[in-house]
Amino acid sequence: MGKRKTILAWAAVTLLLNVTAALAVADGGGAASKAATGGAKPVATAVKADEGTDQAKAGAAGEAKAKTIAELAARYDSSSCKECHEGIHAEWEKSLHARSIFGDDEVGRTAATFKTTIENGLKEWPYSGVKKPEDVQVKHLMICAKCHLPQLQEAEDSVAQEIVKDIYAYAADPNNDKAKEALESLNIGCLVCHNRNAITHKWTDGFPEKDVVYGTKDGDHEDQAHPHMKTSKIMKESILCGQCHGQGPNFDMENPTQCATLYASYLMTYIPEGGQNTCQECHMEKSKLGHNIQSYRAPEMAKMAVDVDVEAKAFQWRDGAVTTPVAKVSVALTNKAGHGIPDG
Amino acid sequence: MPTPQQMGRGDKMGRGPYEKSGFLADSSLPPLRTVKQEFMIPVYKETKKDGKVERAILANDFTVDVELWYLPYGKKDDPGNAQKWFSVSKELTIAKGGK
Repeated sequence: MGKRKTILAWAAVTLLLNVTAALAVADGGGAASKAATGGAKPVATAVKADEGTDQAKAGAAGEAKAKTIAELAARYDSSSCKECHEGIHAEWEKSLHARSIFGDDEVGRTAATFKTTIENGLKEWPYSGVKKPEDVQVKHLMICAKCHLPQLQEAEDSVAQEIVKDIYAYAADPNNDKAKEALESLNIGCLVCHNRNAITHKWTDGFPEKDVVYGTKDGDHEDQAHPHMKTSKIMKESILCGQCHGQGPNFDMENPTQCATLYASYLMTYIPEGGQNTCQECHMEKSKLGHNIQSYRAPEMAKMAVDVDVEAKAFQWRDGAVTTPVAKVSVALTNKAGHGIPDG
Repeated sequence: MPTPQQMGRGDKMGRGPYEKSGFLADSSLPPLRTVKQEFMIPVYKETKKDGKVERAILANDFTVDVELWYLPYGKKDDPGNAQKWFSVSKELTIAKGGK
């Protein structure tokens, strides 16, 4: 028996899956709906298109814009949801949706990327109007916040300034718990998916109403601030997630960005290949992760994503007088996900 | 992996998400398809003797480890981010002797 050797053959496979940017936060959203205790009741009145537009600008709540982080966080606070939906809330708290501005718990990578966006992007672009962090307004942060904190659109520039200050404060001192807590108070909570983003086609289906939790049922809802429950026609559709887990450059912006292209991949490659699942079916139901919506970090998702088949054979081939011992390894990777892997 | 295009023009890759607007190339795994890759791993040390190439076998019995990694930031030494999705070891043998 000859000497045993171990040869790693991971390099090329690794390259195949290397990515250079953070995936966006995972698909889906929070929870707030509660089982109906009665029949469906008509709630609120229709919103005129022009009122709706204003409402959309000022927020689903139709309130004046928030002036502080605390004010904005309070509007989207999901602590009352927790009282009845404890399990779902606990699931959500494990997800990146729960820290969409700060990012991963200890590292704060998302906040760091916001800072990089300001330093290497906004400050360097000659027409952005940003020469220093103090110049950053809501419209500037929206290139990230469109998905990481869509409700920022319902805030004054003072909130953008507060966010920027906290991002820089945490970057300067990772022990700055106050800055971290402020940033973590802003997230993709229950009301983002179950209210604000629960209706995509507002001219068709109406505008999200302040006192309604949108889910899969109509009826009463035992919550003082949200006493009504209505069906969102997209709650189980991929388009709900597609609002953030994008199609490519966001051309509605003055400086388009492309953090995620998953929904484009879903529409243009997965569906044409005969794919049938929605985002929610894989990321919430089949994974059994519920509102702990995960992507590549979760073993459950990794297992569902790719089948790997490896065949290997060793032999010698001869070229004239030279004998060459080699190992031939064939790797077949089958992507079972509803989008390309990785995204970028 | 997708190679995002910087500002949707030219041949430069966008580094941060704020720069990305387009693809220069995309080698990501397409959904519902199988991608095959083959690796020919040399199991020899090459020398030259009297102008002739000689390839001496390193081992007749050896193990090939195949690992599939997801590297969101491009490096394996990245706890919490880099993920090993799959690994398998294959024991291989090349017969001794013969010509």
